[in-house]
Amino acid sequence: MKRYIAYSAILGVVWCFVHGTVSINNFVLGVIIAPFIIRPFKSLFRFDTEFSFGNAIKKIPAQVKYMYVLFKEIIKANIVVAKIVLQPKINIKPGIVAIPIRTKTDLGITAIANTITLTPGTLTIDISEDRSVLYVHAIDATDPEGLARSIRDDLEKYVLEAFE
Amino acid sequence: MNSMLLEYSLIFMVIAIIPCLYRIIKGPTIPDRVVALDAMTTVIVVMLGIYSFVKGSVFFMDVALVLAIISFVGAVTISKYLDEGVIL
Amino acid sequence: MVLEILSNVVLVIGLFFVFLAMLGLARLPDVYNRLHTTTKIGTLGAFGVMFSILLKVGFSPIGVKALTVAIFILVTAPVAAHMIGRAAHRHGVGLCKESVIDEYGRACSAACPEKEDE
Repeated sequence: MKRYIAYSAILGVVWCFVHGTVSINNFVLGVIIAPFIIRPFKSLFRFDTEFSFGNAIKKIPAQVKYMYVLFKEIIKANIVVAKIVLQPKINIKPGIVAIPIRTKTDLGITAIANTITLTPGTLTIDISEDRSVLYVHAIDATDPEGLARSIRDDLEKYVLEAFE
Repeated sequence: MNSMLLEYSLIFMVIAIIPCLYRIIKGPTIPDRVVALDAMTTVIVVMLGIYSFVKGSVFFMDVALVLAIISFVGAVTISKYLDEGVIL
Repeated sequence: MVLEILSNVVLVIGLFFVFLAMLGLARLPDVYNRLHTTTKIGTLGAFGVMFSILLKVGFSPIGVKALTVAIFILVTAPVAAHMIGRAAHRHGVGLCKESVIDEYGRACSAACPEKEDE
């Protein structure tokens, strides 16, 4: 029941944004329609796990900090790749390296994979069977240990705080 | 001056489509073509956003949103077909 | 007035980044490097252009929908790139000849060595 309320509120905000007018009427309309959308796709939402509003609200400061770090890394990534594209002669040493991760939940793994894709010079390709190693294509793969260390220290800390 | 900037930006985006067409025609493998089509959709979404502002009409922004969704679903579907041979 | 100038600057930066992404698509050597440019630079370029439209019109329907498109592109571009990359590797597209290391291919061939039998 709590999950229905939380997802209905989120879907109401999404409906406001898609409609183009953010007002209380649209929000209420979205909240009324939302359970009919959630019910047929119940297997996509995780109804089997426990949920509480207190934990969800407690994580918001960590998520705001994570968004700040993410935007900083995205801008750095763009400058790095733009420099590579604008070189008169392309001189890169790409490769696929295996990077161990510490996150366990589905949401955490999705967040770390998308964060890796949007940060400098790396692109997630696949995850191993036991969900402990990410295979990452790097545009400069001459130093695999340094790459794994930078991901563990700079990004995974914030993802663990925000989503676990 | 403002509208002139926006019109020139539309022309600039049309120029940006040319490398995508080159990659779609020449691309040695199928994933190359999928990447190029995905990127071309991004350019067209940007053009539709600017055009929506120039015309002052909100409907082109709806078209941009739907085109972004279709591009994402199409890329995922073609990848899944290449990967496993079945879609569903 | 200052908002006008700021939005024009963001617009020009976004357009330049989108053009750069398409240039990288034509120049770089193999699928994975091309995915790098279209995912990162293309996403930030589209985000910048939509954000400049939001700065120009404020929170009217056009601005809110532009923000929706920007966030949607920012969320879905990494997922599409991941799917295309995995499909390309399993479809048999090799890395370019400048590549130095391929641990994923090693892991794949160790896990399922006799794939050609089917």
